[in-house]
Amino acid sequence: MSPSSSSTLTPFAALGGFFLSTAENVGGMGGMLGRIVTRLVRLNFDASELLRNLYKMGVKSLPIVVVTALFTGGIMVIQAAPIVQRYGAQGLLGWGAGFGTLREIGPLLTALMISGRVGANNTAELGTMVVTEQIDALRALAIDPINFLIVPRFIGIVTTLFLSTVFADVLALGGAAYAGYGILGVEPAVFYNGLTSGLLGLGDVFHGLIKSVVFGVVIALASCQFGIATSGGAPGVGRAVNATVVVSAAGIFVLDYLVSFAIG
Amino acid sequence: MIELRGIVKSFGRPVLRDITMHVPAGCLYGLIGPGASGKSVLLKIVTGLMRPDAGSVHIDGRDVLSMTDLELQEFRKRIGMLFQNNALFDFMTVAENIAFPLRRLFDLPEPEIRERVAERLACVSLPGFEGRMPSGLSGGQKKRVGVARATVIQAPIVLYDEPAAGLDPVTSQKIFDLLRAEQQASGATVLMVSSDLDRMLTVTDRVGMMYKGRLIFDGTTAEAYASDDPFVHQFVHGIPEGPL
Repeated sequence: MSPSSSSTLTPFAALGGFFLSTAENVGGMGGMLGRIVTRLVRLNFDASELLRNLYKMGVKSLPIVVVTALFTGGIMVIQAAPIVQRYGAQGLLGWGAGFGTLREIGPLLTALMISGRVGANNTAELGTMVVTEQIDALRALAIDPINFLIVPRFIGIVTTLFLSTVFADVLALGGAAYAGYGILGVEPAVFYNGLTSGLLGLGDVFHGLIKSVVFGVVIALASCQFGIATSGGAPGVGRAVNATVVVSAAGIFVLDYLVSFAIG
Repeated sequence: MIELRGIVKSFGRPVLRDITMHVPAGCLYGLIGPGASGKSVLLKIVTGLMRPDAGSVHIDGRDVLSMTDLELQEFRKRIGMLFQNNALFDFMTVAENIAFPLRRLFDLPEPEIRERVAERLACVSLPGFEGRMPSGLSGGQKKRVGVARATVIQAPIVLYDEPAAGLDPVTSQKIFDLLRAEQQASGATVLMVSSDLDRMLTVTDRVGMMYKGRLIFDGTTAEAYASDDPFVHQFVHGIPEGPL
């Protein structure tokens, strides 16, 4: 092959490689979802592992969720402050903060935090278990790694993200109310009235919560699939964690768009 | 009894080439050979953790490769295995690691499980280590915990991948003596891979030597020592000069 034809083919080869790798990842995650669902339907998973993971993923994520949520609420108010002051729209501050937080910012930022903290950690743990033969040891002990490791982690991540989002929504609104009072002098009662004036409904709350479940599924599938498919020793674990973070973040944004589009 | 016929396995390059091997029931069989000769891969194929590209595996007359996933899962309850890297579950304590197969595979009362864990730990000279985490153990201690876990269910088929790696000579000999005593007491069929030839060959009944993916010798331990095959002679006697 001549150098010129080789250089012409290289971008196509790279593009083909990208599509093949994407298809492999999406297919792997689809296969993983199928295996998880069959165990979930039969309630065939390890309850003690589920409790351990709920504690490790949920309870231990609380500090980072608290910090993120409180400051997110504050940031919403800082960004809205010039408009609120220019038009004297203090009464709409609660609605504005609530609309953005409940439908979009709360679930999105919480998902990104959980992806970084829990998803990456999950992949690293599973990947390390693969390269140190712990997964093989489970199989050799007649224990299905999907029942024992994957399903509890899947439930743990989805549940953690859902509950963290509820928690983050409440805290972000608290942070917004506090920042509104401190920066704009908007009384908490006025903020609360804006929030509950009828412009916001339960539909807005559910909109964000549905997204949190979808994001949780993406993070859980990506982190479990890349973790369990790790190969190549310690560098392989690093590559798997990197892939989880990238695919989870990309998946979150793509699905955010699709879910927003689908449910309005 | 473990029966392998025409096992072929390749990972881009051939790793196992037409391996045919027979481990009689109740035999302690030592598999030796230079590094990267395919010994660990062969052990994984025996347990069904890896599928060969060709060949058959029969254990106690049952065709392992034709089993369904569920059948294989059930069948593995009859197999104990020690992995080269120990494969201790690092989120469990030493006691939980050893008790894991007992809790998962058998319906035993907790006091009996605790008793058997303590007895296993005493056997591998680690009494009182129940509450320690694997990350806090030395390489040799991890290996001994791995041996304790592999032997706790008293399986009729036991596979050891480097049971004495990282151990000092005295502990290494104790481990081999322990494995031999266990095997004689239970009548288990044992397939063992070890680089510590001097000590392993003191306990084996039969020996197979692998080289570049082929089984180049299969015989009794005495025959291995007496072999005039240049590869076997050099390896068994640790002679620096030779074809290896």
